[in-house]
Amino acid sequence: MKKYAVYPGCVMPTEQYAYEMSIREIMPHLDIELVDLKGFSCCSEPIKSVNQMLTLALSARNIAIAEKEELDIFAPCPMCHLALSDCKRVLDTNLMMNKRVNSYLTDEGLKYTGTAEIVSILDLLHDIVGIDKIKEKVKKPLKDLKTATHYGCHLIRPSEIGRSDDAENPQKMENILKTIGAKPEYYPEKLDCCGALLTANLPESALTKTGQKLQRVQEQEFDAFIDTCPWCHRQYDSKQIKAGETVAAKLEVPVLYLTQLLGISMGIPKEKLGLNLNLSPIEKLNLGGKKT
Amino acid sequence: MTITDLTSMGESQTELKKEINERLQRLQDEISDYCYQCAKCTSGCEAHKLLELEPHKIVALLKKGLIDEMVNSDVIWTCMSCFKCRERCPQNVAPVEVLFALKNIAVASGQQIPGNYTAMLQSVLSMGLLQEVKNVLTRDNKTVSRTNLGLPEVSKPTDHTKFQMMLSKIAVEKV
Ligand code: SF4
Ligand code: SF4
Repeated sequence: MKKYAVYPGCVMPTEQYAYEMSIREIMPHLDIELVDLKGFSCCSEPIKSVNQMLTLALSARNIAIAEKEELDIFAPCPMCHLALSDCKRVLDTNLMMNKRVNSYLTDEGLKYTGTAEIVSILDLLHDIVGIDKIKEKVKKPLKDLKTATHYGCHLIRPSEIGRSDDAENPQKMENILKTIGAKPEYYPEKLDCCGALLTANLPESALTKTGQKLQRVQEQEFDAFIDTCPWCHRQYDSKQIKAGETVAAKLEVPVLYLTQLLGISMGIPKEKLGLNLNLSPIEKLNLGGKKT
Repeated sequence: MTITDLTSMGESQTELKKEINERLQRLQDEISDYCYQCAKCTSGCEAHKLLELEPHKIVALLKKGLIDEMVNSDVIWTCMSCFKCRERCPQNVAPVEVLFALKNIAVASGQQIPGNYTAMLQSVLSMGLLQEVKNVLTRDNKTVSRTNLGLPEVSKPTDHTKFQMMLSKIAVEKV
């Protein structure tokens, strides 16, 4: 069993519970042990526009908390994963910045040492657990479910920092989906942004971005839209109706976290995967045979 | 400590502003010369069609040194950090990073911070997270909490005084 400190961030543990539930449920089946640690804070990536040094320092602080326990870090939220990875890159290559950021951490008895590896949801599922292991665990293959994947910008860009998949043609979600019996198909809007980061100051525009993409997905008759980011999911699932209003469309696209779909294919009961919390019309999918 | 300490121009913030200005100066010296205005960044920009952001023009203005003009403009707050411009620039210029620096300067100069950023920052200061732990609605319209769902308590800073001390250092540190 491989062990990781799970770094939950903010959006997942304060409202996107379906992601957290499905992660906590599937990981032990895949021989991944998640360790909860006390003391984490926001990584500050969402407020980098206000103060970049804050993002660097808070990210280092969170990494240091896991390093103290000699654990690697699993960051399910792509935005957190970007912040921590970027912080690691800066502090491992820039000695001056390393010293300075570490000077902020001393009061709390923390030190960034650079020993912890930082992995994302796709690193973990696709590269560490691996396709073969996932294949072994599939009990209820999803018969030909036509899926559109949404990676989330922060999971794949900027590649200079080292991201989890190809920046222009990511395929790891597709590989996982094929393994569990689904039928992922390409669509031209695949790399479009959900707009979530505009929620802070231009919420209408954020919803318009969301609505525009989902509308195209609906027109191309996908059965389901699959994501891995709590920020994106909040846009596409939790706010789908509002997003539809901004583009004058009645959107009815079932949206699920990749981890939820994976759990379903592994035969895990849907209550445990938080399927009761998805607000998009997932009943259309008839998942697990019964009405959801 | 308050938001003002962390963002605006108190006496101690002069240094912060100076430092961000130096960062921008470096961007200006090091990268804006490489930009040959091909506008590839703008052609893929997520905020271009909807909000008229033109990252290649941001780089051009930086090259001309028209920093105050940009700092005072709302347009720098339309970027949604998709990182496509940084990914695709053939010259390794990263307009998105210029935009981050410009927004940081706007904040450090005491400009009004748009929208919800202040509330998010305040929340991080007071409890370490962007927002409070929420109860959510289920598909059948029931309100549930983390505990109802069997999830453990949320991880947050344990010693608030020390956590805030750290944040205040970042705000007032002399470089
Ligand atoms: S920043 Fe890069 S992509 Fe944009 S105009 Fe300049 S060279 Fe072209
Ligand atoms: S990061 Fe900002 S400026 Fe760059 S392409 Fe995306 S929205 Fe446009």
